[in-house]
Amino acid sequence: MSAHGGCEAIVPEGAATLAGSPERAPPGTGALGMWIFIASEILFFGGLFFAYLYGRSHWTAGFATASRHTDVVLGTLNTGLLLTSSALAALAHACAERGERAWVARLLAATAGLGLAFLAVKGFEYRDEWHEHLFPGPDFALAGVPGAEEFFVLYFIMTGIHAIHLGIGIAVMGVFAAAARRRVPGAVDPGRVEVAALYWHFVDVIWIFLYPLIYLVQRT
Amino acid sequence: MDVDTMRPTLRRQARTFALAWVALLTLMFTSLASAYVKLGVFNLVAGLVIATLKSGIVAWIFMRLSKASALLRLIALAGIGAWGLLVVLSGVDYLTRPVAPAPVERPQQLMPPRPDRAVSP
Repeated sequence: MSAHGGCEAIVPEGAATLAGSPERAPPGTGALGMWIFIASEILFFGGLFFAYLYGRSHWTAGFATASRHTDVVLGTLNTGLLLTSSALAALAHACAERGERAWVARLLAATAGLGLAFLAVKGFEYRDEWHEHLFPGPDFALAGVPGAEEFFVLYFIMTGIHAIHLGIGIAVMGVFAAAARRRVPGAVDPGRVEVAALYWHFVDVIWIFLYPLIYLVQRT
Repeated sequence: MDVDTMRPTLRRQARTFALAWVALLTLMFTSLASAYVKLGVFNLVAGLVIATLKSGIVAWIFMRLSKASALLRLIALAGIGAWGLLVVLSGVDYLTRPVAPAPVERPQQLMPPRPDRAVSP
């Protein structure tokens, strides 16, 4: 079933959509636009990943020492939360294609909920790291370890930017879930749910790479 | 979730997503276990290879690159390819010149001075 075909079953011809316009873009336009955006985002995060690879190749021991000061339990928990949320987002897209409005609302709400749980866990991590003086600055706890401060600079920048991206994703998922629940016309348009899900999966993929680079440098 | 209430094709799709999810969690724990084995540079290699596999599952199944048009696959590859190109070009610079620490870096991170490279005043 095409994405467009699924839409027609849900949105009557000429009905006002979520955006308030009855006009429709050609099928697949949203996904195409999101993939182009994702390609640009790969380059955006790519610069930071390159900076990390530079630091790790120059201060191998320092990065390993710094990594051991991160909370691997919370990091693994967060990875599990995001992987699960991605599976739910993919299922929400499949449900949208079949007009399962109630399931779309539930699954998108669950996706946003897992995203919120991720941010809460990350908040606890940041709090602990602040108390342990792992935030780069004058009182940095690992000042005598070459490269440790570079590691934590990259850690806070990369996880911080990732958290901002995730926050945007949570807002999108939350709005879509609420609109689907309230039966707003076009709210479960498969094309729109697909675009939101693609963005969510991309944010998940960024974390998939951050997880081993931050928490798993060498734990022994 | 109760998939019995869904249509058969959706149930099949849900099963595929569930299998992908199990594979992702299995790979996550494999990656975690590898960090507790001293492998040197291969800790990084193992972490990146597993992360690539996980991303492949997400992209291929969840993001549906398996069913996407050639154009969408090309765009996805273009993003990764452009990044790879930038890494190689930047690496040529960083890997072939002596370390030149920035002034903001801590003194203990500076390389010891080399007499043969001393600049006369």
